[in-house]
Amino acid sequence: MADTTPTLASGHAQRPRAQLVATGFACAACSMMMAGALGLYMARRHASGPHPGHDWLDGLAVPNPQFDYALLTLVASIVTAHWALWASRRRDTAHAWTAIATTIVLGLGFINMVMYSLNRMGLEIGAGEYQNLAFATTGLALTIVVVGLFYLGLMGLRSLGGSVGQQASTAFGAAVFFWDFAALAWAVTWYTVYVVK
Amino acid sequence: MSENTTAATSPGVPVENPTPFGWMTTADHKRTGRLFIVSSMLFLVLGVFLDLLVRLDLTSATEFVSLGSDGFAQGFTFSREALTLLFLIPAFLGMAIYMVPLQIGAPNLAFPRAATASFWVWEVSAIVLIGAYLGNGGPYGGWANGVDLHLLALSGLVVALLIGSIAVATTVMTMRSPGLYLDAAPPFAWSALVSASMLVVSLPVLLGQIAIIYIDHRYGRIFLSGNYGIWERIDWIHRTPQLFIYVVPVLGVVAEVVLAAAKRRVFEPIAMYFTLGLVGLFGFGAWANFSVTGEGADIIDGLEGVVLVGLYGGAVLGTTGLLGLLGFALVQNRKMPKVTTSLLAALGAGKLVLFGALFGLIGAATDWLEIAGRGNDGNPQLRMTTWVTGQQSVLIYGAGLLGLLAAVHWWAPKIWGRQLNELLGMLNFLVIGAGALLAFLGPALSGLLTEQPDFVYGEPNATAIYASWVDDSGAEGLNAIGVAGVVILLAGTALLLLNVMISIGMKKGAEADDDPWSAQSPEWMLPSPPPIGEPDQLPTLISGTPLLDAADAADAEEATV
Repeated sequence: MADTTPTLASGHAQRPRAQLVATGFACAACSMMMAGALGLYMARRHASGPHPGHDWLDGLAVPNPQFDYALLTLVASIVTAHWALWASRRRDTAHAWTAIATTIVLGLGFINMVMYSLNRMGLEIGAGEYQNLAFATTGLALTIVVVGLFYLGLMGLRSLGGSVGQQASTAFGAAVFFWDFAALAWAVTWYTVYVVK
Repeated sequence: MSENTTAATSPGVPVENPTPFGWMTTADHKRTGRLFIVSSMLFLVLGVFLDLLVRLDLTSATEFVSLGSDGFAQGFTFSREALTLLFLIPAFLGMAIYMVPLQIGAPNLAFPRAATASFWVWEVSAIVLIGAYLGNGGPYGGWANGVDLHLLALSGLVVALLIGSIAVATTVMTMRSPGLYLDAAPPFAWSALVSASMLVVSLPVLLGQIAIIYIDHRYGRIFLSGNYGIWERIDWIHRTPQLFIYVVPVLGVVAEVVLAAAKRRVFEPIAMYFTLGLVGLFGFGAWANFSVTGEGADIIDGLEGVVLVGLYGGAVLGTTGLLGLLGFALVQNRKMPKVTTSLLAALGAGKLVLFGALFGLIGAATDWLEIAGRGNDGNPQLRMTTWVTGQQSVLIYGAGLLGLLAAVHWWAPKIWGRQLNELLGMLNFLVIGAGALLAFLGPALSGLLTEQPDFVYGEPNATAIYASWVDDSGAEGLNAIGVAGVVILLAGTALLLLNVMISIGMKKGAEADDDPWSAQSPEWMLPSPPPIGEPDQLPTLISGTPLLDAADAADAEEATV
C-alpha cells in the first residue's frame, strides 16, 4: 500500500531532548530546595534538646501506618507511570490511557492520604517549632508532588492527543522522570520528618 | 528600539506582534533579552542610590544622617537585594537570553515563552519588593504583612531567575548547531551555562529557606526571632563566595572581547572552559553556613575556615588561569590591539574579579589563622567587618558594572543595530573604574583598620554600635571615601544610561554593519540587529570562531597563490 502520509514543510531540527534536560535541571533545583529546607529542619532538630526527635514533638503522635500506606501508593503510581511510558513508546494508546488514568488516581489518593494523616496527627501550624518546620517541609514536598502530577497529566494528554511519536514519548518520559523524582523527594521528607522526627 | 521585522520566518513560527502586547507575549529571545537588560540597568540606579544612602549613614559618629535609625537596616537589606537580584543576575541573564542562541546557531531559546514569563514574574516581583519596603516591610520592617510580602516577592524573584536560567542552560546543552560541540562553544555561551547551572543548584536553597521563614514569621514566630532572624539566613546570596557565580558571565564577556581583540583562539580551549567552570564551582556552598545553621554572625574556624579558604583559593586559581590564557593570546598576536571601551572595561572587569577572589582569600585566611587576633577576645573576624562590603563593591560594581559596560558596548550593534558613543564610553570606563575603586577602598580599609561591623544582625538599628566605630577611629573619613566612590558610581551609571539613550533611543549612534569589531564568534555572521522572529536559515557551525576560521582560510589560500 502506498504511503499517503502528507509531507510537511521542513522546519528546524526537532529537539526532543530539550524537555528532558530542562526537567533534569528542574529536578536539581527542587533537590536543592528540599536540601535547604530539610537542612534547616535537621539543624533545628539537633538544637531542640538532649533527646532530638522526641523532646520537640510535645506529645504529637505520628500515624506511621497511614504514612507508610501513602508511600506505598506513591511507589505503585511510579510503576503505573512507567507502564504508561512503555505503552506510549509502543503506540499502545489503550494501555497508555489506562496507565495514565491509574497514575493520576493513585497520585490523588496519595495526596488525600497525606492530608488525612496530618489531620489525624493533629499537626497545628503555629503550635510549636516542630509543627512549623514539619508544615513547611511537608508543604514543599507536596508541592513538588502536585506539580509532578499536573506535569504527568499534561504531558500524557499531549503525548496521546493525536501525536504519539518519538518526540512526544520523550516529553512524556521527562514527566515520568519528574514523577520519579517527586516520589523520591517525598520519601526523603517522610523519612526525615516523620520517621527520624 | 529599532527592529527589523521584515525578514522571513520559518514555516509554522508565529510572526512577532510589534505592539506593546507583543512585547508582553513575545516568543522571541531577543525581545526577552532586551527587556531584562534594560530593566536591570534601571534597577541598578535604585540599588546604587540606596547604597549611597546606607553609606552616608555611616559617616557620622552621632546619628544616621540619611535613612535614620528606623530605616537604616531596611535600606541596607534593600540595597543588597537590589544590586544582586534586580541588577547583577538579571543583567547577565538577559545578555545570555539574547546572545546564547545567536552564538550557538540555534533558532531561538529552548523555552522562549517560559523565558518571557520569567521576565514578567521577575518584573512584577521586583515591583512588589519595592512596595513591601516602601510600606515598612522587608527584614527588620515594622509592618508584619509587609515582611511576609517581601518574602513572597523574594520567592517570585528567585523562581523567575531559575526559570530563565533553566531556559539558558537547556539551550546550550541541547540546541547547539549540529557539529558545534560543547568544547568548541563560544566562551560567553559556556560561561552562561556554568552560571545558569550553578544558579539552578544554589538559589533554590533560598526558596526552601523562605518557605520555612514565611511559615514561622506568619504563624507564631517561634524560632527565627520574628523579622530580626530573617536577614542572617538570606544574606548569603549577596556575599562571596556566592557572588562568584553571578560574575562568571562577566568572565565570559572578558574572554569574548579579549580574544577578538587579539585575533587569536585561546591556545588551549579546554583549559579556558575549565577555569570558567572552576570559578562557578567554587562559588557554591555559601548557603551551608548562613542559611542552614543561621550562624552567619558566629566565628568561623576549624573545618569551616579551611573550606572557605579552599573556595576562595579555587576562585583565585580559576580567574588567574583564565586571565593568563587571555593574556597569552594578546601577547601571541604581537600587535597592539585596537583600544576600545569594551576592551578596557573587559580587562578591568577581569582583573577586578581576580581582586575580589584575592581579597576573599586574604580575609578567609586571616580569619582562619587568627592573624592579628581575629576571632579572639571579642575581635570580629574580617568576614563580619566592612571588609566584606569592600569585597562586594569590587565584585558588583567593579566586575559587574564594568562587565556590563563591556558587554553593552560590545554587543550594542547586535542588540540595537547601532554602536554606542566611544568617547562617552571611555569616560564611562574611567568614572566607573574610579568609583568602584573608592567604593572598595573606604569600607575595606575601615574593616581592616577599625573593625567596623559590616552589619549587626541582632541590633541593626543601634546607632550607638556603629557610632562607636565611627567615633575617634578614623572610620568617619574612610566611610566618606566609600561615599565618594558610590557618588561617582551613580554618575557612571547615569552616563551609561545617557549613552544608551542618545546612541540608541535618539538614534545618534552610528549604524553598525554585521561585524563592526572584526570579531570571531558566530553572532557576528548575522545581520545587526538580527531580524525579530526565528530565521529561515541558520549558519551550520563546527567551531565557535567561524569568522576567524574563514579569515585563516583566506590567508592560507592567499599564501598558496
